[in-house]
Amino acid sequence: MRKISSASPGFSGTTDFEAASIPFFTQAATFDESWADIRGHLVDVLRRGKFSHGAKVAELECELARWTGARHVVGVNSGTDALIILLRAAGLCLGDEVIVPAYTFIATASSVVLAGGVPVFADIEAHGYGIDPRSVATVATDRTRMVMPAHLFDRMADMRGVCEVARRRGLTIVEDSAEAIGMRLDGRHAGLLGAGGVLSFFPAKTLGAIGDAGAVLTDDDRVAETARMLRHHGRGGHTVDNFPGIANPTVLPGRNSKMDDVQAAVLLAKLSRLETDIARRAELAARYDARLAQVPGVRAVPGGVPPRPGVDRACYVHLIEVDERDALAAHLAARGIGTEIYYPTPLHLQPCFAHLGHRPGDFPRAEAACAAAIALPLYPDLPDTHVDRVCDEIERFYAGR
Amino acid sequence: MTVTAPTIPFFPPDLFAGDHDALLETVRAIGTGAAQKFILGEQTARLERELRDRLGAADVIACSSGTSALTLVLEATGVGRGDEVVVPAFGCAPLAAAVIDAGARPVFADIDPVRLTVDPDAAEALITSRTVALMPAHMFSVMADMPRFRELADRAGLRLIEDSALAQGGVLKGRPAGRWGDAGVHSFVQVKTFGMPGEGGVVITDDTELATAVRMLRNHGQDGVHRFVHHRVGHNSRFDEVMAAFQLQRLAGLDARLARRTEIATYYSRRFVSLADRGVIAPPVGGDGRFPYVYTVLAKHRAPLRAHLAAHGVASHVYYPRTLPAQPAFAPYAPGGASWPNAESAARYNLALPLYPHLTDLQAEHIADTVCAFTDTFREQ
Repeated sequence: MRKISSASPGFSGTTDFEAASIPFFTQAATFDESWADIRGHLVDVLRRGKFSHGAKVAELECELARWTGARHVVGVNSGTDALIILLRAAGLCLGDEVIVPAYTFIATASSVVLAGGVPVFADIEAHGYGIDPRSVATVATDRTRMVMPAHLFDRMADMRGVCEVARRRGLTIVEDSAEAIGMRLDGRHAGLLGAGGVLSFFPAKTLGAIGDAGAVLTDDDRVAETARMLRHHGRGGHTVDNFPGIANPTVLPGRNSKMDDVQAAVLLAKLSRLETDIARRAELAARYDARLAQVPGVRAVPGGVPPRPGVDRACYVHLIEVDERDALAAHLAARGIGTEIYYPTPLHLQPCFAHLGHRPGDFPRAEAACAAAIALPLYPDLPDTHVDRVCDEIERFYAGR
Repeated sequence: MTVTAPTIPFFPPDLFAGDHDALLETVRAIGTGAAQKFILGEQTARLERELRDRLGAADVIACSSGTSALTLVLEATGVGRGDEVVVPAFGCAPLAAAVIDAGARPVFADIDPVRLTVDPDAAEALITSRTVALMPAHMFSVMADMPRFRELADRAGLRLIEDSALAQGGVLKGRPAGRWGDAGVHSFVQVKTFGMPGEGGVVITDDTELATAVRMLRNHGQDGVHRFVHHRVGHNSRFDEVMAAFQLQRLAGLDARLARRTEIATYYSRRFVSLADRGVIAPPVGGDGRFPYVYTVLAKHRAPLRAHLAAHGVASHVYYPRTLPAQPAFAPYAPGGASWPNAESAARYNLALPLYPHLTDLQAEHIADTVCAFTDTFREQ
């Protein structure tokens, strides 16, 4: 079992894990273990004295470029902002259509609107949660300019299929790889298979800050240069770690999406242990699967579908599909076990997209996933015994039906 | 000889020198805290309440930056495609970019040559049937003529959006900066009077309906009750708990820091009062509607003055070397042949001197001496 720091909440020396609640997410023990490293980076930031868009952000960009193999990493304020900036930098024009999956986090589609485009929804694949290339081909129109697959939970979308349809239809590929750090196809990191991708460092992510932060990833020099301007009010020239650069000419209408150096400091410390954290997540995911694959009432577990050839999984979210999902969530909550519903409503049926005129039944796979999916606790701080207890409770719930 | 002293920075790196341990402890406490809540949590809610009470506003909503606050306000007031918003021709990029981001068109109005804030008469002359809002901005250390803008907006049936991003501490006719408009904003980027070691801002409003819309728009269009139900296309423009906790600790010292800044600004202006006919015009200091953010003079011979200051160990900064319509990004929105003479003049002459609470009396004296020495020698050439 993983060593749990005595300073972490809920584990004050006791071995009676039955009594402890199991939060959906915590990184308290990891943070505590990494404190010396985090503190060192913070002291650098305090000495340097520029607290956003500063030297620590530049250092993080370099380290992430090395880790992912991206030619350019552009640090920004959030994964959502990264998507907006990426879409604009990749050349999205007012009114252009971008095809996005109907089953994903809202930002995959809202970023298209905020970048000036129009989202067009496609269904997801039969035994997975990525966009279905055949559905992409079906919904594309002559106004469609881009396709943006999202790599959700533990693996990338069918990128070979997406690339093929994009090539045939002349679409630019941008990737919502917000969840996908550590996922690769044939050795290429997620986000680098088209014009560019993003990372979100939302705290619960595989690489999580303790606040909002994100990044654009790209191998394209022009996309990177535009993204760098857009995040800093559209200003050209050298602005990172350079306060007087605020007087540089404003080249493009941009936004303020500067990353905080405090977050970069935390991220650098966590990046140094990311391989270990990803391995631990995989161990926990396998432990869940071994128990839950056989449980009646559990319809699908992540490991039940082998990854496509050449794909490296990275388990960010452990999402299973079950019968009586809401009752199971209530059962677990009553026993102190946190879960999350990713996602209760598909995007084409969200109130904010009502004007697009979709109806239930338009994207049946996305709707089915929304009805059955539930995410279980999964993070490096989670002890094996907690996985076992979650599995016990799930078994108990279905045995008692 | 003064040149042996280290340069007095314009953007000081040691703004939070007294709070190093507080920042480290705050990060550690939030990082290891039992709540594991990092964004829009209890600390943020407390900061919102404290600022709301301090300003006497109906609501204060924390978000990711002052720029983002403007975007949220524009969208919450329904500004969109085909609309025009009158903004100053002189100022910071978000005045135009936020309007464009909302899908509308910025219309640039010239400024008052002394206050350097947008001229209400110039703004009024630009109102058309497509105008939906006026967005004056406070500038450097002077609030815009908000009573006139309030009256104009009411008379013309327009929304009044107050870019008070840099004006924390300003009060005009008893009403704080940020509370003259239908909504106002503050920015907390480190150099601001209530700056912090990160990015953040707030929306200030007495309009509870507007506040509800802003709260929804800052977090992906969710209503705060029904998770993953998105009523509107919203942003990710949230506030981090680390920064909120830090700002709550710093709030107690804000008035003292403002007072110290005012003291230095007043000293500069006393020293510079006689320089007006020697090519250095000091900003109006004291009186109603002033706040001690940036001390900007208008220098007829700006480049030589900057060089003289630099040679004597004083860093200075030109915030706006060009007007907004002269920025490549916004030129497409500037009508051909139009000119903004006061804005253009301000762009040519504005020069800001160091002003921060930990500037010592000796440093302030040296800066003032150096400016005065320049006007003496330059006149003689």
